[in-house]
Amino acid sequence: MVKALREEVKRLFEEKKVDLVIGWGKGSLPMTATPIFINKAEDAERLIWDETCSNNLAVYLTKDKRQLVKTDQKIGIVVKGCDGRSLVLYAVENQIQRENLVIIGVPCAGVIDKKKVLKHIEGKEVLSASFEADRMTVEGRGFKTEIAKCDVLSDSCLNCNHPNAPVFDVFIGEPRKSDSVEDVYPDVEAFEKLDSEARWKTMVEAYSKCIRCYACRNVCPSCYCTECFVDQNDPQWIGKSPEITDTLIFHLGRNLHVAGRCVECGACERACPADIDLLKLNRKISKEILERFNFTAGLDINEKPALASFCENEKQDFIMG
Amino acid sequence: MIKIEKSNFGTFIQNLSADYSLFAPVGEGQQSAFREVKNAEQINTHIQITQNSPKTVFLPQTEVLFEFSGDDIQSEEKPAKPMFFWGVRSCDAKSLNLLDKVMGQSKQRPDDPAFQDPYWKARFDDAIILTLACNEPASTCFCNWTGGSPFSKDAGDLWAVETETAYLVEPLSEKGEAFVKGLSGYDTASEKDKQSIAKLKKQAESYLQPAVDAETLKEKLPQTWEDPLWDEVSAKCVNCSACAFICPTCYCFDIQDEGKKDKGKRIRTWDCCMFPIFTKEASGHNPRSLARERVRQRVMHKFRYFWEIYGESLCTGCGRCVRVCPVNLDIREVAKQLLEADSAA
Repeated sequence: MVKALREEVKRLFEEKKVDLVIGWGKGSLPMTATPIFINKAEDAERLIWDETCSNNLAVYLTKDKRQLVKTDQKIGIVVKGCDGRSLVLYAVENQIQRENLVIIGVPCAGVIDKKKVLKHIEGKEVLSASFEADRMTVEGRGFKTEIAKCDVLSDSCLNCNHPNAPVFDVFIGEPRKSDSVEDVYPDVEAFEKLDSEARWKTMVEAYSKCIRCYACRNVCPSCYCTECFVDQNDPQWIGKSPEITDTLIFHLGRNLHVAGRCVECGACERACPADIDLLKLNRKISKEILERFNFTAGLDINEKPALASFCENEKQDFIMG
Repeated sequence: MIKIEKSNFGTFIQNLSADYSLFAPVGEGQQSAFREVKNAEQINTHIQITQNSPKTVFLPQTEVLFEFSGDDIQSEEKPAKPMFFWGVRSCDAKSLNLLDKVMGQSKQRPDDPAFQDPYWKARFDDAIILTLACNEPASTCFCNWTGGSPFSKDAGDLWAVETETAYLVEPLSEKGEAFVKGLSGYDTASEKDKQSIAKLKKQAESYLQPAVDAETLKEKLPQTWEDPLWDEVSAKCVNCSACAFICPTCYCFDIQDEGKKDKGKRIRTWDCCMFPIFTKEASGHNPRSLARERVRQRVMHKFRYFWEIYGESLCTGCGRCVRVCPVNLDIREVAKQLLEADSAA
């Protein structure tokens, strides 16, 4: 698989179809891949594709990273299902020139969440890790543990029905057959069942850990405003300290801004240095959007986002009671 | 050097917490930090290095400088009891000394209190720091790059080593001397104990990767200013502040007023050079508008500017940033790449 990916990227450079390719390379730590940017055929050898490739690379096409994307430059980008959905979102929202992109799809069976691995081994230090089809082995000083991969997959991967990019120019290997999960949101049910007081308590407890580093926002492909409302100071909309009211305004504001746009890639949750379960509220909103508007973000390049369109037959119970 | 048997650790900690606000590593789920404790059971002695550094106590993420109501201004009282920090790693103890150079002392006007931060001094000056030798440095540790070592005695008031059955403690400063004098009923460490320290030290040092000389990097950095390598190393940075907020030596802050016009509080809250707004000027111009410039600033501050002013690196090699970076931007790799770069002066 990796060999095919490298050869394809090499070919793209040789045929002058790309000027830059964004992919994953080997990271400096065990269980860690890192985004890489390659601009010549021989560097294709640095590319990897495995269950550690968790970053959503689409993020590099927008944000501050527009500095990477020059006009007329042909960009190749390696994408999992969720990264590919971000590209669809970008196309729908006019953030990319589709014709300048070469989308390289890879079949995804889920990526691991390092924090889950560490939890599994009670925080011991992993010095090396290896992967097989359904399990991984981690080793450190004085221990060697086998872990079922399903126990350490990112929350975003557990009920995923979109393992392949919905739109691509080339696909490496065979697109993976979807598991056709029927109940996509079992994880938000427990939260939904809580009464409002308990929900508030859960949220205050979770978000109190936030240190306002904005790693969640900055790795989020759907969060690409040139200037985020929390960074504005004329006027300043919210306080800068991690006081819970302000912190909640940031997080809930973000949740609402990505409502119907979140592709549930889980990058926010994996990036959080404070271990906050950030995906839950996003998934709750995605569930709402699916039930109300029968819409899932980032699947159809010709469909308008749920909250940017209006159909007469939509449920209006919030108005009509 | 005195010996506190592990069987007496509970009593030792109990007594300490009567005289001091005692802070020690506490595990909180997958997180860990220095928290005030009352007994030994609350302390997690297995934490290699806390996720959050002791900086969070001395220079809290947010602190109220004063509260105001009309013309009335109220400032926080000095803490009643001095703080005692148990189990600070040598990198973190050194970090506090580096922060003290900025917050507590003034290089240019050492005797002028106007240049000393009273909030920092109220906490730091009376605090006793016990530096606990690092028996098992992590693979992300690189204290040996910047003049540190797992068994370093360069910083802290007391120095301790954990052996199988005991903690061996010796003073490093005057405060530490006075503290040890005040203790009674403890044995003195034996020759055998000292031998086990030597053995542990050797083992700990063997866990570290070969060092890169930070001083060579400092010499090289001025030449790299315009090097296209900065584009390369900063390409993947997403400009969050995870690295800075968890760094034991990043001290940049913002000051804000919260409240209504005539009633409220003035707070000091961490800020970060990775944020575009950090340098945005009133005109709208931003001298560090690109990720390249911001990443360069952070590396230069750690490894060059601080050195030029204070004579040492502002990085102590604790490795926290290496661990939390969401895109695996590893400062060690950046340093190596810069050293290898063929930069023109």
